[in-house]
Amino acid sequence: MSDTLAVGATGTSTTQAPLLKVDDLTVGFRTDAGTVKAVTDVSFEIRPGEVLAVVGESGSGKSVTALALMRLHPRNTDITGDVVFDGIDLLELTDAQMRSIRGRDIAMIFQDPMTALNPVFTVGEQIAEAIRIHNDVSKKAAWSRAVDLLQLVGVPEPKRRASQHPHEYSGGMRQRAMIAMAISNDPKLLIADEPTTALDVTVQAQVMEVLHDVQEATGSAMMLITHDLGLVAGSADRVQVMYASRLMETGDLDDIFYESANPYTRALLESIPDLEGVKDTLEPIPGNPPSLLNPPAGCAFRPRCFLAAAECAEQVPGLVTVEGHHASRCLRISEMPAPVEVRS
Amino acid sequence: MTVVDPGAPAADSKFDSGALAGLSADEPILQVRDLVMEFPIRAGVFRRQVGSVQAVTGVSLDLYRHETLGVVGESGCGKSTLGRSLLRLIEPTSGTVTFGTEDVTAASKKRLRELRNDLQMVFQDPYASLNPRLPIRDIVGEPMQIHGVPRKEARQRVGELLKRVGLLPEHGNRYPHEFSGGQRQRIGIARSLALRPKVIVLDEPVSALDVSIQAQVLNLLDEIQDEYQLSFIFIAHDLSVVRHTSDRVAVMYLGRLAELSDRHRLYDEPAHPYTQSLLSAVPVADPRRERARKRIILQGDVPSPANPPSGCRFHTRCPIAQDVCKHETPEFREIAAGHRVACHFALEPGETLLERTQQLGRKVDIAGD
Repeated sequence: MSDTLAVGATGTSTTQAPLLKVDDLTVGFRTDAGTVKAVTDVSFEIRPGEVLAVVGESGSGKSVTALALMRLHPRNTDITGDVVFDGIDLLELTDAQMRSIRGRDIAMIFQDPMTALNPVFTVGEQIAEAIRIHNDVSKKAAWSRAVDLLQLVGVPEPKRRASQHPHEYSGGMRQRAMIAMAISNDPKLLIADEPTTALDVTVQAQVMEVLHDVQEATGSAMMLITHDLGLVAGSADRVQVMYASRLMETGDLDDIFYESANPYTRALLESIPDLEGVKDTLEPIPGNPPSLLNPPAGCAFRPRCFLAAAECAEQVPGLVTVEGHHASRCLRISEMPAPVEVRS
Repeated sequence: MTVVDPGAPAADSKFDSGALAGLSADEPILQVRDLVMEFPIRAGVFRRQVGSVQAVTGVSLDLYRHETLGVVGESGCGKSTLGRSLLRLIEPTSGTVTFGTEDVTAASKKRLRELRNDLQMVFQDPYASLNPRLPIRDIVGEPMQIHGVPRKEARQRVGELLKRVGLLPEHGNRYPHEFSGGQRQRIGIARSLALRPKVIVLDEPVSALDVSIQAQVLNLLDEIQDEYQLSFIFIAHDLSVVRHTSDRVAVMYLGRLAELSDRHRLYDEPAHPYTQSLLSAVPVADPRRERARKRIILQGDVPSPANPPSGCRFHTRCPIAQDVCKHETPEFREIAAGHRVACHFALEPGETLLERTQQLGRKVDIAGD
């Protein structure tokens, strides 16, 4: 995993045209209490073959961003902005056109495979169905491809397992089955939303390995949504950090972990305990994330920020380029203390 | 951690169960011996027992004063069951739990209630463990009411406790749904402190919380441990959190203890193949380290505790298992002072599982290869 990533982080595709280009995406939910902005002015790109990690805590808008890209959002939703995938604006498509892209060019892996898989059909049937929706092949051919896919993702005895129902699978196996289904049409983009959060750590390692192998084999790009900074460190090429519906910082993996130019990212890294036992005390982030119904004026992180000043309340800071494609949303970047090398 | 002066008077003698009387400072405050917890599997019209799930099998450990003993393992390893059976929230099938000089497992119902002054628990899910229909004041005050503290005094104590865990006394009038996850966990901690306990079993106390809030609660636990001279059993699946909070760490696999040692030794020189694989699987929030790492990937899933493997329960996934592992349950033996391991072929200090596997001429799945 790591060897190939090292290459990816420095080498691949920085000059290639983006596969996905999102501009000023804003997603609001209409509720009785007013409109909740779950995603505000989010812009980013994903290039072919790269892994973009989207990091944030619950309610930061990372999952809603993905659902909006896939147009899987609920009805009470207002979406504005542009989502251009492979030259097509997804937000302009009819539902039927979107269905032909969803599952074929863009596929999604959800956190909880038990609710994402249909309990009354066998795993093989469900994968075959995903194939037959987008391809004109016989049932038999689709089934045999389903068995091949299960083998590819490391499900033992794939022939027998294909005729089993999801409840006969363990959590890790179900997640493999979901990955098999997601890659069944060779998607150009895989969106993985907390793909291993429900799994134990030894099984998580297996599933991440499978994800990397299939990603390498198919050459697809991946948007990895997670709250786990460890997973990010081990698998992403680029990272974007979200807080209270906005992008706070975006950059290459090492920029974010070693040269972070954003107080929230910095505070997040300081607050997690490390496996090596280097940190004696944890620096928690004080307070709680803000309510999105009634966000604070100015920078949303201001009430919890160690660097906040009066100016931070006056306006929402823009995303400012630090260097290359490393950008941070903070008015006081120049005041940031030099990064402390606590790790490694 | 500092040793408590045994002569120091209990902070609040009227809550004291007296079970610690005459116990010296270096004797364990809690001793668990051969604890077994089996759940029956029933089937058919008559609900006949057709088998049993062995959630905890023969666990023995000691908890010392003012120490945090971490218990880690994957889901289904029995760590939560162990925590609950220590307080007899579920009745253990066999084995003993001794608090101070008193056998908790033999205590009458009435006596058990007194002992629970001293033995408290904080649960994982702060949404499920607080009664939604009671104001916080009553939730935190309930243990005192049950144990007969005068109302006026109890009310004052509730205010102090709320303040101590970082809330405001006026929050007492509010209901659980008005609080965030982190605040609810603070309320759960305040409730557990109400009777001035000596031991608190913390079952995944920060797992449901966002990372920025986790650190707040971990630091709070650290402070109250010092202030109230508490001993903690800290049950968690997050190995980084456990290393940070615990003095000693026990690793469980399928109901049995695999390894137990002081935290640095356990993390730096793990002797059990399972401990090594577990540590190797944890992703570290440090890209350079991640790139340099060789991660051993264990095959398969954790077997069902309803039908655990014979011999060493880890042998089905162990890359260095031999024939004897299938037949003989390894003894939980001491390989160095305070370092116990249940493995026939424990790794030497500094030896990696990868090296041993290669020595045996076996293949092992390594991430990145």
